[in-house]
Amino acid sequence: MLARRHFVLQLAALLPLPLVARRVHRLAVADLDPGLLRALAAAVLPSELGGSGLERTTADFERWLAGYREGVELVHGYGTGQIQYTGPSPALRWSTQLRELEAASQRHHRMPFERLAVGERQTLVRSALEGQRVGGLPQIDRAPHVAIGLLAFFYGSPEASDLCYQARIGSSSCRPLSESARRPLPLREKS
Amino acid sequence: MPRRVIESDVCIIGSGISAAMVAEKLAEERVATIVVVEAGEESDRLSRRPALRRRFLDYGESPWQNDHLDGYEVAGIQSRSMQVGGLAMHWGGVTPRFSPEDFKVRSLYGVGHDWPISYEELDPWYQEAEVRLGVAGEQGPPDLDPRGKPFPLAPIPLTYNLLRLREWTDRAGVPMWSQPSAKNSAPYRGRPACCRNDTCSPVCPIGAKYSPDFTWGALRKTKKVELLTRTVVRRLMRGANGRISHAVAVSRDGGAELEFRARTFVVAGGYAWSSQLLLVSEVANRSGLVGKFLTGHRNVSGYVSLPLQLYPGMNGQHSLVSKKFMRVPRGERYLRHDLRVWESSVGREARLTDSEGNLLLGDEVLADWRRRTATGTARVRAYYDVIPDRESSLTLDGSKRTPWGDPLPQLSFRDAPESAAARAWSEERIRALFAELARAGGGEVLSTRSDSFQDHPAGGCRMGDDSADSVTDSWGRTHEHENLFVVGAPTCVSGGCANGTLTFCALSLRSAEEIGKAFPTRK
Repeated sequence: MLARRHFVLQLAALLPLPLVARRVHRLAVADLDPGLLRALAAAVLPSELGGSGLERTTADFERWLAGYREGVELVHGYGTGQIQYTGPSPALRWSTQLRELEAASQRHHRMPFERLAVGERQTLVRSALEGQRVGGLPQIDRAPHVAIGLLAFFYGSPEASDLCYQARIGSSSCRPLSESARRPLPLREKS
Repeated sequence: MPRRVIESDVCIIGSGISAAMVAEKLAEERVATIVVVEAGEESDRLSRRPALRRRFLDYGESPWQNDHLDGYEVAGIQSRSMQVGGLAMHWGGVTPRFSPEDFKVRSLYGVGHDWPISYEELDPWYQEAEVRLGVAGEQGPPDLDPRGKPFPLAPIPLTYNLLRLREWTDRAGVPMWSQPSAKNSAPYRGRPACCRNDTCSPVCPIGAKYSPDFTWGALRKTKKVELLTRTVVRRLMRGANGRISHAVAVSRDGGAELEFRARTFVVAGGYAWSSQLLLVSEVANRSGLVGKFLTGHRNVSGYVSLPLQLYPGMNGQHSLVSKKFMRVPRGERYLRHDLRVWESSVGREARLTDSEGNLLLGDEVLADWRRRTATGTARVRAYYDVIPDRESSLTLDGSKRTPWGDPLPQLSFRDAPESAAARAWSEERIRALFAELARAGGGEVLSTRSDSFQDHPAGGCRMGDDSADSVTDSWGRTHEHENLFVVGAPTCVSGGCANGTLTFCALSLRSAEEIGKAFPTRK
């Protein structure tokens, strides 16, 4: 049943029609296994996030993916007259990759990916990323693998920056000008 | 189908920031009916901007969807934006003045061309522009940064990061101060104070940054102007006595052609579309200089690693500025540039492989990131003055036409021979300055680059006293047509070495003063 659905999704994805693409995107988002995604997040995101932080990040990632729209104008800046657009939805690619992680888990450990230890999950992720060009953080939608997508999503966020610097920088949020000159407060200290 | 005729005292073509300045000043000071014609759409209202900004942050989507016309893809560098408010809906709100030297480079340094007005003559108009936009600024050293009156708003405060970076530039002997910006440091004209959302460009979600839609909103609410959108002016038509009698336009929604009749026509279509309209209309071009002397400035930017703990993200779009290098030291080769410094995260972003190429996962990514953020990065950039060549030009492209059959422009920027010859040397000098700054801070230059294009483009209808050598006089009135003005960017003689928008606004207000003389004063 799953294979047939997957086949239909892949077939539909070949059609360029925007309506079909939107439908495929929605199906692929629905197809993204939430349990597998959370197991992956726990393996690739920092443990300092804790259970609630991991859950929040993963849920935000799911919302981000659900909200993705293909073919929308990107910001066009100075120095170019060219209008560029968002690319194809990564949802189908990522849901497929999640299933492949599960399959690899069954193959190597005879148990679900979710039940593996974090280190074992990481080994499978490393194996899945072998041969991929990985370096800096890509644009989220261009991430070649769902694991990279999760990492790009989290590490591009203001929350990640605050966690790194252990400070309440709160980038891209509304903050009083009057507090500009002050060193950002430590992360755990209330303003 | 007969044309629909729309009559007014003043017809302004375009609704960008220069048009907004002209319309506001005329509406306040003169008894005159004003019609504004805009080819693009209405810009999204302020209440939608937080959601549009969210989409920009999350997905990179433009907050200004459909702010351009299909079929208007031109050859050459051109920033696409046609909507109510124009490109200043996107702008970063950065509002330095040009320096006094910009207006007399021929007299002072023997290069380029002097403007027909001096900095001192433009000072009152700079002040007026700063008041209308709401510029928050810090007075720089008066000899480098002269001004007749204080800024209308206190400066945008320097962040912790910029304060640390200013300590660094002070040590290097370069005086720097808070970049003047059309962003409210306190509530101003019904708009709130900036709260560091830090997406000034492309969109301020709260309206703390000035954009022309605020001016249009107020003028339309009080019925002081009539603004028609989706209306493309195709031709300016000559009438008797060398005057422009009317403008012919089409509505993008179809229907009869429109004919705008006015006592005065103001072309405010920016550096590209102003020249294009004059060229296709075959007006104002006795000198043969419409579309010529396109100007701008080149830049060198870089990233400097410094042994400072910085916290990128505090207000990344705000910067320090210096005008120290806008004067050429006696006996030295011509090079004039500004200098700006920002916080940056470049070279210190999270990464997924370490220096040996090993994949990082889980806690490894965060640990690696923390190790690399114990010190900081500054972004530095210098805009340097480029003398425009006569053949730095906008011409009509015979091979490409608008959906209405008019030739599209093609743009080709060119440095005058003296600037072209000095380009490599100029950029090397600026890179050497970056290296010197880095050394003074105990740091190192991580990288530098130079964009291939000229930024903050202007010109194409340059002003001058001699009608054989310019398109308009210093007020923006075309030499050839008494009732035809070109305002803002196209009239610039040179692009200076700082962002041009405030200068475009000051010039536009000065033009509005002259335009207004034909109409009774409002009591």
